[in-house]
Amino acid sequence: MAPGERVSGTASADVRWYQRAVFYEVLVRGFHDSNDDGSGDIQGLVGKLDYLQWLGVDCIWLLPFYQSPLRDGGYDISDYWTVLPEFGQVADVAQLVDESHRRGMRVIADLVMNHTSDQHPWFVESRQDSTNPKADWYVWSDDDQRYSQVRTIFIDTEKSNWAWDPQRGQYYWHRFFSHQPDLNYDNPDVADTMLDVVRYWLDVGLDGFRLDAVPYLFERDGTDCENLPETHAYLRRLRKEVDSLYPGKVLLAEANQWPEDVVEYFGNDDECHMCFHFPLMPRMFMSVRREQRYPITEILARTPDIPDGCSWGIFLRNHDELTLEMVTDEERDYMWSEYAKDPRMKRNIGIGRRLAPLVDNDRRVAELLHSLLFSLPGSPVLYYGDEIGMGDNIYLGDRDGVRTPMQWAPDRNAGFSRADFAQLYLPPLMDPVYGYQAVNVEAQMRNPSSLLHWMRRMLEVRAQHPVFGTGSMEVVSTDNPSVLAYVRSSLPAGEGGAHGTTDEAELRADHVLCVGNLSRFAQPAQLPLQRWQGMMPIELTGRVPFPPIGELPYFVTLAPYGFYWFGLVRRATSSTGG
Amino acid sequence: MGEQRLVPDRLPEELTAMLGGYLSRQRWYAGKGEPASVTVQDQALVVADELVGGRLLWAVVEADGDRYQLLVGERPVTEVGEHLRGHEDALIGTAGDRAWYDAVVDSEMAIAFLHLASGGAEDASRARPLSVEQSNTSVVYDDRLILKLFRRLSGGENPDAEVTSALAATGFSHVAAPLVRWRRNGADLAFGQQFLAGGTDGWALALTSLRDLYGSASTSGPYPPGASGGDFAAEAARLGQMTAEMHLAMADAFGTSDETSHQWPGFVSVLEQQAELLVPALVPAGAGLFRRLHQVRDPGPAVRAHGDYHLGQVMRTDAGWYVLDFEGEPNRPLEERLRPTSVLKDVAGMLRSLQYAPQFVLWERADSELPVLDEAARAWQRRNCNAFLTGYYDCKGIEQVLPPTPQDREAVRVAFELDKALYELGYERAYRPDWAAIPQAALEHLLSSPAEELVAPPGKWGNEGEDDPEDDPGDAGQA
Repeated sequence: MAPGERVSGTASADVRWYQRAVFYEVLVRGFHDSNDDGSGDIQGLVGKLDYLQWLGVDCIWLLPFYQSPLRDGGYDISDYWTVLPEFGQVADVAQLVDESHRRGMRVIADLVMNHTSDQHPWFVESRQDSTNPKADWYVWSDDDQRYSQVRTIFIDTEKSNWAWDPQRGQYYWHRFFSHQPDLNYDNPDVADTMLDVVRYWLDVGLDGFRLDAVPYLFERDGTDCENLPETHAYLRRLRKEVDSLYPGKVLLAEANQWPEDVVEYFGNDDECHMCFHFPLMPRMFMSVRREQRYPITEILARTPDIPDGCSWGIFLRNHDELTLEMVTDEERDYMWSEYAKDPRMKRNIGIGRRLAPLVDNDRRVAELLHSLLFSLPGSPVLYYGDEIGMGDNIYLGDRDGVRTPMQWAPDRNAGFSRADFAQLYLPPLMDPVYGYQAVNVEAQMRNPSSLLHWMRRMLEVRAQHPVFGTGSMEVVSTDNPSVLAYVRSSLPAGEGGAHGTTDEAELRADHVLCVGNLSRFAQPAQLPLQRWQGMMPIELTGRVPFPPIGELPYFVTLAPYGFYWFGLVRRATSSTGG
Repeated sequence: MGEQRLVPDRLPEELTAMLGGYLSRQRWYAGKGEPASVTVQDQALVVADELVGGRLLWAVVEADGDRYQLLVGERPVTEVGEHLRGHEDALIGTAGDRAWYDAVVDSEMAIAFLHLASGGAEDASRARPLSVEQSNTSVVYDDRLILKLFRRLSGGENPDAEVTSALAATGFSHVAAPLVRWRRNGADLAFGQQFLAGGTDGWALALTSLRDLYGSASTSGPYPPGASGGDFAAEAARLGQMTAEMHLAMADAFGTSDETSHQWPGFVSVLEQQAELLVPALVPAGAGLFRRLHQVRDPGPAVRAHGDYHLGQVMRTDAGWYVLDFEGEPNRPLEERLRPTSVLKDVAGMLRSLQYAPQFVLWERADSELPVLDEAARAWQRRNCNAFLTGYYDCKGIEQVLPPTPQDREAVRVAFELDKALYELGYERAYRPDWAAIPQAALEHLLSSPAEELVAPPGKWGNEGEDDPEDDPGDAGQA
């Protein structure tokens, strides 16, 4: 990185940047087309960096951009060293990184370590016979009975995790689609080569990786082949390599497991820096439908503490379906009946919908859910298009329904591409409610009361309070089950606000009280805030001072789906009586 | 925190003179009007290093035949305002330069009392009183510990302290962990438990579900409760499961007996007499039901039960349901409250509560909405009673505390629903006549429905929410 770039200037001092960052997930193919071929590309994204900077994004997360036959949206990599030609070249990635750093943003990318495409030259060689140099790079077996305790993830399309290869006359192992054979990490050449891949892209300038499907790297008899100690050992090796050679980079794990299992992937802050928190997401939706906080507070109570330097990645929607693996069967039926009334919306064990249609296009709910996303512990991850309330097209196959072109303008092809309409990789949305004529960046930029401006404002407020990223969280109990209240605090729970303290840490401390109404009806709440007695709540978006906290429970009323973020500040003339 | 101890001491004369008036203003005072006389039976000063600028007095007094525990703060008149802020009604009175008040509202005093009651084992930096209940006063410390100060004393063990401690000792995890038990001369005076921060009582949660349902039903007409966003059935089923586990833990802690069998014929006869007394017009229609109840061969074992089980006695927390307050029905004599009975008494209590809740919320609605909402109310009750019973009966091992045959089981359950509804009707007529219509409607249903319909086993509840209104299960109490 060249001197003078905004990110590099602070990188060494701020290796924990990801704890306070807002991530933005970009589908390169769907974001912007710079060469009129109907498909988005890296130069297209470079041209939209000013927009992302304006919005308040700290880190861009790219879905896979590597060479691939694209039978699984690029998660079937056929060459780790090259970029998919229609997206650009390695030099374009380097330019994207430089331009992002210049704007104070970082870039991470998906990396699939568990498997490759069946068209990867390694597999082409491996399947020829059992004696070639790559023969042991994949997991081969004479029968399909090994590892019989392993679940099948894509139950809609795959009957078994073994597939027969007539060429080699053996079965190969695949945790996902049968065209994605699993790499054999017991082979030291494989383990070393994947570290080469990581170093290569960090040298290009990437700020880290979102590691796809990490729980499945190793296989062992008599286990479910998930979360094995060997997998953790390999991640520690990867982390050590990254931290020593490339400080300030981030490893973000995708491990769709219960939080108590996922925390294993943080290790002692010696595996991944970040992990996605999967079960929180469906529960945020469930809380709004149930009009009560327990789906959320239950999962937070089940979430163990994580090492200091680590952070959860939290999200409302992403490129995959609304994942329901982490809710109970009964809740899954409920989520299905609530959110997927049309059976086409069900995919695998989830629901393939974007945020706006999931909440019946109710902007109040969208804002409430984002207020939770931006204020609960963890780094929020936005999905491209959700900031303007884009819809989906459930009639497109597989997961394409939520991967339609970004809607930039009311012009031809949504301002996404100047190619012929028929040449577009997917048609943009054109329906009267969510179509690009109605929902687009240009129109919302001009309208100060748009969802887009609201998002920008909230991200701005969030950025002013690092406590949202790094603070402790304490749920404030209230009798009203429809109200969720919590205090984010830069002091550990139990130490903040004890009155009479004039400790310097206490004076510099930041406390934010978040209160949300999960009900479609107005609600009152009495909050036991005596611990913060004498402090004054200041509403953070408008800086409106509210009455000081006294000895009695603090009373607030909330509009339907309403919420508040209050900064708690010590009054200049504070009384210590009581 | 220094040392704390009780030192025998006399209450100031001026204070003693004010106690009659003070007692008569308290919700936990059992008598009507000011007592003829107040006798101080036991009185002491709480000596604690941390108390500065005030004195904490403790006393047990007798008034009109009942005994009460008092905790009184004393401070200079000039300073008392600061300590009473927001709780001015806690003032007992002033004389000269001294003022006396209920010490639970004073954080400093309440903490000194916690130190005393726990023998120094528990500490806190903040205390706040909760709203007053019928027989006790509760103080929450640091949102971590709740201390119940028993006001009206019965002498001996307090059932709540006794049962909670016994259940916790069996490993039953749905009671808040006991932390403090303060006793003197064999009598329970205060009981402290883990405070269930973030909890909501079942009544509030049920009302949340109902408001959501009525919100949908009032705009789109009849609306199956299973399809509404705020569906309560999964909660009701988990509540049923927890209730069954509680009863198994009760049997484990206190044992079982066959007392119920001996009491059964007498119990049904009393029901008949009560019905004759309270709802004579309905008795002829109920003849079939009473005949059926008399035919019960084995009403099952007698077990120590909760005794006053309803939605307000259970608390939903992040760790599931918890059960609270084992005092029993406050208006029944202690001896009756302690007597082992059928566990179906508790089951019936919850079913009654699941009828009360939807009817209670109907009172907030406009008359024009009632036809459609009334249907929704009954569908909600049916669905959640079924879910509760299914969760209860599905609990492994529960049959050992139930009547041996399903026919007797359901008949006993209906008998206790009848018992509870009659009790409610008497209570409502005396204290809240506007609400008498709710138990009245339940009694009409119980006494006029064919007995065989009432004692049918519970219907199924599914996740699709397509309850068939014709497929009326045995749950009782529908308006």
